[in-house]
Amino acid sequence: MKFTYRQDVDTVSEYSSFSAWKSARRGDRLSVIYGLVVVCVVLVSYVLGALKWLPHDPEAMDLDAMMAAPFTGSYLLGTDFMGRDMLTRLILGIQAYFLPGLLAVIISLGLGSLLGVLAGYRGGRAEGGVAYFSNLIDSLPRMVLMLLVIAAFRPDIYTIMLVFGITTAPTIAMLVKSKVLMLKERNFIESAVALGLSPAVIIFKHILWYNCRALLLIQATIGMAEAVLLETSLSYLGFGVQEPTPSWGNMVQAGANYLMQGNFWPSTAPAFAIMLTVLGFHLLGDGLNNIFEWKQSR
Amino acid sequence: MKRFPWKASAKVLSRELAATAALLLGVSLVVFVILYLAPGDPFAALLGGRTLSGAERDAAYEALGIPKTWYGQYLAWVGNVLQGDFGISTRSGQPVAHELISSGGKTLFLTVGSLLVTLGVAIPIAAIAAVRPASRIARSSTLLVYLVSALPTFWLGYMLIYFFTKQLGLFPILSATDENQQLSWLYALLPVVLLGLGNGALSEIVRYLREEISRVMSEEYVRTARAKGASIWRHAYKEALLLPVSQIIAAKMPFVLGGAIIVEQVFNWPGLGRVAWQAAQDRDYPVIMAITLLAAIVVRLGSFFHRTVYVAVNPRASHL
Amino acid sequence: MSEMTNPPLLRIEDLRTYFYSRVKRAFVRSVDGVDLEVLRGETLGIVGESGSGKSVTMLSAMGLVTTTPGVITGKVTFYGGETPQNLLEGLDAHVNVERRDGRIMQASKDNQAWQKQADQNLRDIRGGKISMIFQNPRAALNPFETVGKQIAESVRLHTGIKGAAEAKEKALYWLEQVRIDSPGMRYNNHPYGLSGGMSQRAMIAMALAAEPQMLIADEPTTGLDATIQARIVDLLDDLKARLGMTMVLISHDIGVISRLSDRIAVMYGGRVMETGPADDVLDEHADGHPYTRALLSSTPRPENVTASGHLPAIEGEVLDTINVPPGCRFKARCQRMNDAVRARCDSREPDMFEIAPGRRIRCWLYSPQ
Repeated sequence: MKFTYRQDVDTVSEYSSFSAWKSARRGDRLSVIYGLVVVCVVLVSYVLGALKWLPHDPEAMDLDAMMAAPFTGSYLLGTDFMGRDMLTRLILGIQAYFLPGLLAVIISLGLGSLLGVLAGYRGGRAEGGVAYFSNLIDSLPRMVLMLLVIAAFRPDIYTIMLVFGITTAPTIAMLVKSKVLMLKERNFIESAVALGLSPAVIIFKHILWYNCRALLLIQATIGMAEAVLLETSLSYLGFGVQEPTPSWGNMVQAGANYLMQGNFWPSTAPAFAIMLTVLGFHLLGDGLNNIFEWKQSR
Repeated sequence: MKRFPWKASAKVLSRELAATAALLLGVSLVVFVILYLAPGDPFAALLGGRTLSGAERDAAYEALGIPKTWYGQYLAWVGNVLQGDFGISTRSGQPVAHELISSGGKTLFLTVGSLLVTLGVAIPIAAIAAVRPASRIARSSTLLVYLVSALPTFWLGYMLIYFFTKQLGLFPILSATDENQQLSWLYALLPVVLLGLGNGALSEIVRYLREEISRVMSEEYVRTARAKGASIWRHAYKEALLLPVSQIIAAKMPFVLGGAIIVEQVFNWPGLGRVAWQAAQDRDYPVIMAITLLAAIVVRLGSFFHRTVYVAVNPRASHL
Repeated sequence: MSEMTNPPLLRIEDLRTYFYSRVKRAFVRSVDGVDLEVLRGETLGIVGESGSGKSVTMLSAMGLVTTTPGVITGKVTFYGGETPQNLLEGLDAHVNVERRDGRIMQASKDNQAWQKQADQNLRDIRGGKISMIFQNPRAALNPFETVGKQIAESVRLHTGIKGAAEAKEKALYWLEQVRIDSPGMRYNNHPYGLSGGMSQRAMIAMALAAEPQMLIADEPTTGLDATIQARIVDLLDDLKARLGMTMVLISHDIGVISRLSDRIAVMYGGRVMETGPADDVLDEHADGHPYTRALLSSTPRPENVTASGHLPAIEGEVLDTINVPPGCRFKARCQRMNDAVRARCDSREPDMFEIAPGRRIRCWLYSPQ
């Protein structure tokens, strides 16, 4: 693999136009762009779905055009096995995970930051307690815990996402804690205290916003991807939204029989929607991670 | 071997064991509390389906030997579990332990097999991506791994079934009545592969391994090995392979167990995942509690395994 | 030690090793055209500030530079085998450079193919014929293995000894040679259990156990305590006398260099500024490169302290190897520039002028005109 290294000018000035974006690798830039596109599409679709500005009636069944391929007539993405417009159902499927996913992310970031700061700032027993709590939660596989909670409470998706948020908080707590410890070691916190800043200001402005926002943002993208996978998996298993309300998970499940007969579309369309969305969040997080990490190391 | 610090390592590991026990105790408490807070009476089955309250219930409990306080019930449950009694399934009326054993083996097979598949795929890709990062094979395989990790496992499972049965006619799907016979090995391969590829953590595993291998390759002692003409892998494998792999096994075990639930659903595989799903459907508390506990135990076993490898490989570990 | 009586063991010609800064989108010209010779049986001291490229030069010669782009041009001839061998053989096949006004502005390199080629070229040389020891010995030794096993590995790889027991015996022998305390116990220690000085001794033992023709010591005393530094220097001096080996010693510490070197090469900004017999180079009252003079008068010695109680420092900053100015690399900090040479110092880089056999200086003050 030949690499070409080029230098355009004879003299390079020290601080000339350092832009993390421009110096980033092409793969990272593409990842971030793709991720942002996905986020926009999801957002727009969510709004469309919430306002019910849909291309077709989600429940209207066109018996003449069952399992139609994309671009058949007015059906941009074809129809499912009952002749319902696929695009409409896919858009509506976002309702099932969008707000709940946001809730999960907010909870995990909030709780995680709180625990992380507590553990890092106070140290000692607080740190030990947070570590114990984290390890405890990490010992429970998410799916298994969900089944437990479902068996007990038959909860709605928001409660499920609440629990999910709690289960992802420990990872964030650990990351925030190590940041706090690093800042402590570099005497940032000591100097801030010496300057007379209140703990609240130190924590929110200096620790979290200045130093942790990149990592929190990236964890948010990961969390959203996980939320999508969780919601779709649960509705696949039959525990999420029920028919006829569409969720990408239950759409795949319902189309399974038809897949076995060779009619791929009803199952594959939502599956690809899941893949493209999850990929979008993952790549966004990865790309940003690489760009930020590298910006710091320079 | 005689220079290996056995005693110090044993001390470190027994501390780990104690920590594990403390964690599992916490897990059991969490599990119990969740179900205690659930609506409905967990002992409804024992009460013959009657809903009692107040004094009547207390009397019935006393007659059945059920403690009245929550911690009493908790301790009774834990005490039973430690003796191997996981209660009676409210659905089947059979002892839960019995179900665990009969289905557990199938899930164990699935889990272990899928770990082998995951590692067998991830290690080569990570190694190539670390050593020759810009080659076509590294880039394309990394991209492929990302795609596969983003695909919903259940859909991938259906596609696999379709292609292998309809197109290749290779693995006829045997019906669920195949539970008691030996597993026909061909049939068994598909779900193992699916779980190995589709546990959702593959891209992260590849990325982590690649970073570790890269990092170790640029360590100073590897440079010394190269400078003295020695085999680089022989010096690097402990830190680049053994430690990261054991870390992966420990950290990703929850994903594997969770993924098993989905995979068993797709293939109608008679393992603990399907039992758990059924228990969630039926609100079969003893079963779901037992499975949750068991899952936590397996996860902690994975952690313990990682610590053991760490202590065995790292000469300083026993001195900390 | 003249070049007539001692043939060269290693010759480096026009070596260029560049690194690429993605941040600045420019080349770091770490080694920018280095010519060096190591004569048989001598100790060549390479001295220079950090960033002068002295370590990278020898690392490049051994094919140990893996960061891209790495070595771009150059020829390294090793005379220790039956026939002279170019260690950088095949480099041109994998590299394409583009120059503008004599300066390299673009380089295309197939690093993976080149690395493979280099490993092949150097397979018999590394360890067996040329051994290398590094700074920071505790990090440079494998932390997961005992020190003894690592030394024994050198023995088994490069001497004819294959048996485990014999290799161990040899390893213990070398541990004794480096005068480590309780060799038997140290054999079973892991690197973390050894102090800096002891692990450096162990690394020296490991390098010598392969019975190489040449030893490259890259900053062997940097990072050690001052008293330990002195002991390691003593050890190297002792080994030099007893084994008569050829050695390349890289250091920024003039004291160490002066103790051990027969000949000295002074590097600055990726180029060799001056070479010659140690006594001549270190003699501040004789002819010499302005940089070397400045270095010598700024080392902490009582003689250097002026009447007013100051220790002179070299003015200016270390050369930025990204922006290499035209003309002499040292011109910004040179105290001895005069009007006769100023024009040339500003515009053209001086060649190496040989003012006496074996004595070369890269400075316009010494040009024949």
